[in-house]
Amino acid sequence: MKLFSDAGLPATYVALPFADWRTRSDWPAVALANTDPVEELAAHVDRLRLVVLHFPKFSDGRAYSQARLLRGRLGYRGELRATGGVLQDQVAFMLRCGFDSFESDQAGFGEALARARTVFSVVYQPAEDGRAPVSLLRHERRNAALT
Amino acid sequence: MAKNLSGDLQVASANRLADGVVVWLDDAGEWTTRLERAAISRDRRSGEILLRRAEAEAFAVIDPFLVAVAEDDDGMIEPLSLRERIRASGLTFDAIAADAVRYA
Amino acid sequence: MPDAHFYRYDDYDRTLVGERVEQFRDQVRRRLAGELTEEQFKPLRLHNGLYLQLHAYMLRIAIPYGTLSSRQLRKLADISRKYDRGYGHFTTRQNLQLNWIRLEDAPDALAALAEVDMHALQTSGNCIRNVTADHFAGAAADEIEDPRIWAEIVRQWSTLHPEFTYLPRKFKIAITGSPNDRAAVRVHDIGLRLWRNDEGEVGFEVIVGGGLGRTPMIGKTLRAFLPRNELLAYLEATLRVYNRYGRRDNLYKARIKILVHEVGVERMRADVEAEYAGTRDGLLGLSSETIEAIAHQFAPPDLPSRPAVVGAVEALKLGDRDFALWLKSNVASHRASGYAIVTASLKPAGAPPGDASAVQMEGVADIADTYSQGELRVSHEQNLILPHVAVEDLPAVYAALGRLGFAEANVGKITDIIACPGLDYCALANARSIPVAQRISSHFASLARQHDIGDLKIKISGCINACGHHHVGHIGILGVDRNGVELYQISLGGDVDFGRTALGTIIGPAVTADKVVEAVDAVVATYLDVRNDGERFVDTYRRIGAQPFKERLYETV
Ligand code: HEM
Ligand code: SF4
Repeated sequence: MKLFSDAGLPATYVALPFADWRTRSDWPAVALANTDPVEELAAHVDRLRLVVLHFPKFSDGRAYSQARLLRGRLGYRGELRATGGVLQDQVAFMLRCGFDSFESDQAGFGEALARARTVFSVVYQPAEDGRAPVSLLRHERRNAALT
Repeated sequence: MAKNLSGDLQVASANRLADGVVVWLDDAGEWTTRLERAAISRDRRSGEILLRRAEAEAFAVIDPFLVAVAEDDDGMIEPLSLRERIRASGLTFDAIAADAVRYA
Repeated sequence: MPDAHFYRYDDYDRTLVGERVEQFRDQVRRRLAGELTEEQFKPLRLHNGLYLQLHAYMLRIAIPYGTLSSRQLRKLADISRKYDRGYGHFTTRQNLQLNWIRLEDAPDALAALAEVDMHALQTSGNCIRNVTADHFAGAAADEIEDPRIWAEIVRQWSTLHPEFTYLPRKFKIAITGSPNDRAAVRVHDIGLRLWRNDEGEVGFEVIVGGGLGRTPMIGKTLRAFLPRNELLAYLEATLRVYNRYGRRDNLYKARIKILVHEVGVERMRADVEAEYAGTRDGLLGLSSETIEAIAHQFAPPDLPSRPAVVGAVEALKLGDRDFALWLKSNVASHRASGYAIVTASLKPAGAPPGDASAVQMEGVADIADTYSQGELRVSHEQNLILPHVAVEDLPAVYAALGRLGFAEANVGKITDIIACPGLDYCALANARSIPVAQRISSHFASLARQHDIGDLKIKISGCINACGHHHVGHIGILGVDRNGVELYQISLGGDVDFGRTALGTIIGPAVTADKVVEAVDAVVATYLDVRNDGERFVDTYRRIGAQPFKERLYETV
């Protein structure tokens, strides 16, 4: 598997499976199944450097919610890696949900990742990538028109 | 006219990738829109072979599968199931387009 | 041409839809080049409304909340002519389906749609689908608030939602702004009903877990009253609970209705409220300014004052029996005096229900321009609506629709049949639907007889997926396949009206295709024999139960 990561952690950085990690939660890297409760990481987010979330199939979208909870609700700032069914046609969604690192063997994935932030220059929803949704842009535009 | 209804006779079918049109695999390994040109397998084993051949030729079609057919004395083949007969011969009623001119 | 009185895209909306078309163009190219497998490509095409049916690809175009301008309808006609076979099918979910699209052409067809601010986004796939609303929205006399304002807000929020594009299963939302629910909110994954509480505030009743399909269920109230500005945050919480905990092990148990059923509505409510505690103060709260800006676009058109009582209309009513019947069944009251809402029936006797040719679409668009402020609606009964017609113009509209074959006085009557595409088009079907509908419709063609029978809804599905809503038909007909023979199961007593939503009961063994008309005839004859004065078919059924219908039916067939 090829790793595409901005975060700079090496691919060999070992993430413990959630069950193991629970017994030694001082370890800074954990890998969750998409049924594992992300909420349990709450007390540890400041210490964690790598969280790996898994897509058993590209069409199983549970990890998107886990990612958003980790970033948005729990305030996790370390590396968030997607593994499993990670394909270029979903990577824009993953970026929006807060992933910043990807394992993928798909040909052309790297190029697609580089383009993914610009395929859509407009977004409708607030998510975890800090992009301003259209509603906010409209609001600003209305205010600008008034002044 | 005696029909072989045993269900042993099969042809391989699929929808063409570029336009979705119904096609059958012919003896030359080409996909054809004409059912009468379809390659026929006459027993279970050759059915499996036919399907494997179809899958090997599946670059420009979607998900090939086998269709049970009947053959009459003149060698005309017809699918056994209504679904496949409709796939082979089209809508069973007049689509509105046919008489759209009426409204013009 | 009058400007449409509903949401118009701004440059943001246009940019997004345009970028989406280009993204899909690239995906189609990669599929045709063999870079994507069918398994990888299928969800991508489905998210762009492209299905594979029996004979060809089908493109399902969204008509958000059923609202259409004449210009858009003309474009649809155009697209159907250029990329399809010159006709389309209006569906029960306010979509238009084109049945003969080529994959190679699909990106161009979508680009053409984008020219009139339309798209096919999320009309299929396991995502939040096209949001539907009351088809009389913005014109109905009984409306509390225009539901389309909210449907548009939800449309934007749900479009390319990064978290909810690979849900366990599809997700359908419907909104009604009237006490008389015309949007079937109790049979959607989420139904939203606007109502005014004792304090005079307007909010939503949030209903969850309804649906038809193979396990029909009536939705349950998740939140009795939700303040309007909290809508998106609450939806996001609900969808997140569903995305995380909805079943994915079995396709047939993956809808939210099964989750609600399995954990119970109390637990579901507790989970959603707990999640909501975390989303409610986020960026999804709707400012009154944002709501106002969208509501403004739905401001009703300025309708010039027109007389409420018109001599010529009254005279024609006396002179032309069919016109009088049409006024009764196809014309509804408008909130502005001097105006009416006209339903153009896409169910002429013997025709495939809900189909319109390009020529007919253009004809209706012309009528809308001349007589209805250039506006149209699509109903979930597969008809087209002219929402703002002056009473004075009714005779002219009747005549013009008549020339198109769309003035049948049968709305709500026995020939106003809902039928799914069935085995003629659909890859999942067990039996045909459209020819059955055509036969019933021809048999009951007499308008006088139809009006004597009164309100009676027949709904037909070609398989258990229930796209034809047979569960909630007064008479429901479900096609099944027994050893290669098409049989039809008849159920009675279903209903979608709010407060009376009910699922029909199967009354006995399925009948063969050639007996369906006789079976329906026997059911109708039973009703006519025993009904009380003014009693509708379903009410008679509720009063006397299935037995008398059953006896007569199985004596006959
Ligand atoms: C021909 C292509 C079509 C296919 C392959 C198709 C497929 C399906 C499937 C698989 C379901 C069941 C989903 C579930 O319960 O999880 C379903 C439900 C449904 N479909 Fe279709 N459908 C088609 C056409 C239509 C048309 C033409 C309409 C409208 C006239 C329609 C409206 C609906 C509705 C309203 C449901 C309701 C059940 C529910 O969601 O609870 N579909 N469809
Ligand atoms: S009910 Fe069945 S046959 Fe009819 S359109 Fe839906 S999936 Fe196809």
